[in-house]
Amino acid sequence: MIKKFIHQFASPKTYLFQVDRAYPYIFYTSLSIYLGALFWGLFLTSEDFVQGNSYRIIYLHVPASFISQSLYLAMAFASAIFLIWKVKLSAYLVRSIAPIGAVTTFIALVSGAIWGIPTWGTWWAWDARIISTLILFIMYLGLISLHDSFTDNEKADKFLAILVIVGSVNIPIIKMSVEWWSTLHQTASITVTEKPAIDPSMLYPLFGSIIGFTGIVVCLVILSSKLQILKREKNKSWVKDYV
Amino acid sequence: MFNFKFNSILDAIFMQSSNGQYHGLYVWSVVLIVLLSIAITFLVYKVQIKNIGKKIK
Repeated sequence: MIKKFIHQFASPKTYLFQVDRAYPYIFYTSLSIYLGALFWGLFLTSEDFVQGNSYRIIYLHVPASFISQSLYLAMAFASAIFLIWKVKLSAYLVRSIAPIGAVTTFIALVSGAIWGIPTWGTWWAWDARIISTLILFIMYLGLISLHDSFTDNEKADKFLAILVIVGSVNIPIIKMSVEWWSTLHQTASITVTEKPAIDPSMLYPLFGSIIGFTGIVVCLVILSSKLQILKREKNKSWVKDYV
Repeated sequence: MFNFKFNSILDAIFMQSSNGQYHGLYVWSVVLIVLLSIAITFLVYKVQIKNIGKKIK
């Protein structure tokens, strides 16, 4: 029954028509939230007692880091659906998310490196959190290259799905790296179980930037998946009608 | 909570902290990199979708 439901509603055609309708709403709402939160964080919050004004990078770095890991989990979830129920839309999504994941991980690494200069006195350290994030970036690039090196898309999708699931072991390592090892990187300021270590005046714009950035990234994934569907289904009659 | 924390636009650009250091260069370069990365990614996909649409037609 689940299989029938998924196959009925997760056809590339249905997906494309649905996301096309939702795209402008998601885009303009998330862009407004993101820019508003950035303005709030950059101009309306007080400077940090320890880090001074450099702490304002948090409004760009944290959303990118959060999304880079979340996208990988989304890829692992889609991979599992593809391997269990053979839903081809899931395979398209896995391939579509990978480049967006690489971009957000790149942003997380670069913004973290620039933040490190005034805070730690160095832009790079062989620190567990930084290395595991660098591995995530290399994994995204590797997955894209691997998929594109195959001539048979079906084989490529299967290999990619298996590798994504195996590679998902890196996500808890990134998350727990600051707890398991002694690192330059600080421990998490926001956790589900404890009261946030950040003042509410700084915390609200941070939530806003995370929500806004997530929406923007969803729009990028929509575009990326649209491209993937058009490439892979270009010989279907509905695609010709669609374009 | 909603007061502008800088006295002028120049203050907001240079972002001098209470320890005397200027942090504007770091903050604004990150803002630029993030916004550019997002904008370029959008642009690349829009162009690629347009191109493949033309090919399919």
